[in-house]
Amino acid sequence: MTLSFADLSKWLREADRSGFRPFRLVVLRNIVVEPLETYLRYGAARLGLDLDVQWGDYDTISSEAVGEVSKWISLDTQAVMVFCHLEGASWGLARQFNSLDRTHQAAERARVVDWTETVVRGIRSKTQAMILWQGFLTPAYPAQGIFDSQTSHGQLGAIRQLNDAVRDALRRTPGAYFVDLDLCRGRVGDRHFYDYRYWHMGRAPFSLEAYEEIASENLKFLRAVVGKAKKCLVLDCDNVLWGGVVGEDGLANLKLGASYPGSTYQEFQQVVLDLHQRGVILALCSKNNEADVREVFGRHPDMILQEAHFAAQRVNWNNKVTNLRELAAELNIGLDSMVFVDDSEFEINLVRSQLPEVETIHIPAAMASRAGHRLLSAGLFDTLTVSAEDARRGQMYREEAIRQHQRAAATDLEGYYRSLDMRLEIGFVDDLSLPRVAQQTQKTNQFNLTTRRYTEADIQAFARREDAAVIFARLRDRFGDSGIVGTCILIFAQGEALIDTFLLSCRALGRGVEDAFLSQSLRLAKARGASAVVGEYYATGKNAQVSDFFASRGFEEIGAGDGGADRRFRLDLSRPVPPEPEYFGGIEAPIPLAAPNRA
Amino acid sequence: MEQKILEIVSQIMGVPLQSVTLASSAENIPTWDSLKHMNLVLALEQTFDIHLSEEQIVELTRVDSILTIVGKLVGS
Repeated sequence: MTLSFADLSKWLREADRSGFRPFRLVVLRNIVVEPLETYLRYGAARLGLDLDVQWGDYDTISSEAVGEVSKWISLDTQAVMVFCHLEGASWGLARQFNSLDRTHQAAERARVVDWTETVVRGIRSKTQAMILWQGFLTPAYPAQGIFDSQTSHGQLGAIRQLNDAVRDALRRTPGAYFVDLDLCRGRVGDRHFYDYRYWHMGRAPFSLEAYEEIASENLKFLRAVVGKAKKCLVLDCDNVLWGGVVGEDGLANLKLGASYPGSTYQEFQQVVLDLHQRGVILALCSKNNEADVREVFGRHPDMILQEAHFAAQRVNWNNKVTNLRELAAELNIGLDSMVFVDDSEFEINLVRSQLPEVETIHIPAAMASRAGHRLLSAGLFDTLTVSAEDARRGQMYREEAIRQHQRAAATDLEGYYRSLDMRLEIGFVDDLSLPRVAQQTQKTNQFNLTTRRYTEADIQAFARREDAAVIFARLRDRFGDSGIVGTCILIFAQGEALIDTFLLSCRALGRGVEDAFLSQSLRLAKARGASAVVGEYYATGKNAQVSDFFASRGFEEIGAGDGGADRRFRLDLSRPVPPEPEYFGGIEAPIPLAAPNRA
Repeated sequence: MEQKILEIVSQIMGVPLQSVTLASSAENIPTWDSLKHMNLVLALEQTFDIHLSEEQIVELTRVDSILTIVGKLVGS
């Protein structure tokens, strides 16, 4: 099934990538890793990116990063990968470890960490691009043999401490990440990871298998930064969550539990629960009698997943394509944010052909014992940060379901909103909110006027600018804390304010939060002396619902202009700012955002 | 096998298939540099499930010698 290296080379030359988003990557390195390019470009194409790879000259990491001008890094670079082989950074730690005493080892480590920091700072001074630092590899046969692992100051310990220090340095630089090559090596296995022939002939250390795995690991970061991380895992039940068919075999005969073969399904459920706890929304899509499935969840003692973990479910005899469409609509997410897992080849092929935007994972019965790894290996759900919001997301979706339920029962909508006791907190982005704000720009698709994706470094750069402001909205109500649900970026120029970004998380939609947040943003623009606000709309195929947002809020349409926007709007600020909806329990904003104009 | 080798050379060097013959070599295909040579070796090994020695790698700079060496390894 997987394409060979030669096939990929051919595909890359022939495939039509018009309409793909260009993405500029620079690779700095002190080794030869060029075969990586084929795997990176193919994987990027599957994310809708036309990847342009610029190779820094061999062994020029320092001069490219720190030199006054870089041959390759420029303002429009979007990612920089750094491959620093330990030998090139410290011959002593890599190859002459036993000749170094402990003082020298510590000095070498400190020197390499200093150098790393200088390189990262240098890159950051030239570009806000994401930095992907490839961690140092630990040796297969450490310098002190079996004794090396007995202490923390053998060669393994020294390299691990070095990686820890590099990781800390990267954490202090927004948008800089540590790519753990030791993980890649572990998955491939030492004997297959290296190719010593080319190491000696041409300073190229890795095998094709290694390049493929290293590319896959780096592509997880690209997926996350361009906003293609998946949000929702849709699971079949029979032969996925448990072995057997509940409707035929009966509850008591299902394979699920601590011993084989039930253990494979239990292990898979734990993997799913782990994903849920880092923010993945779960849904069920199963051809079954609802009562049968409910009975398994309610009565089977070995179920790890509980019904409460699922934000939505379609357990019926309908076509799964229809069910997936309905689930997407109910959860207010795009089909391309969904991953569908099924054991039936028929269902998988049906979804692939009818809903190609849904990512599918086929787990035939024979693969049940590897289902967890299969689900995790592509990093479909991986995010650059795991925020406090993520851990609570599942719960937030359940709270939302309760709200929807009550809303359906309410006859007076405003009265219902009032009963929610919504409290909105507006704040300027700070260290604590930075990861979530950047994540919102990367992940929000539907209520997003411009869909500009920003890294933490980008957001920090905006926040530092005197002519820009980044604010967020945090929402709480009597059901719970929804966390940060909105981000707005304003840029001030020529006496006016441009709304660079205005977005809201879908779980906050449909209760006036957008109006309250817009009013607050306009107040900020006014307080900063802007005479008017300009809003733009960029159509993406997913944000049609906000096409008329500005027009319906009193903005005047002024033509598309030549900046690339599909529609542009203007609002004169000499008139009073439209008031926030009255049914909020409270809206708090720091000075100088100015208080709401109602008493 | 000859056809498959010609295809791989064409794919890796980025030249049209019809321009690749048994007489093609690093001398007359301008894109055949040392990096492409490494890609070629790795692609041949993967496609034919063989392992080339360092000596053989150095000799693989002509299509006819590729055919000889790969043919010997696949046959054995």
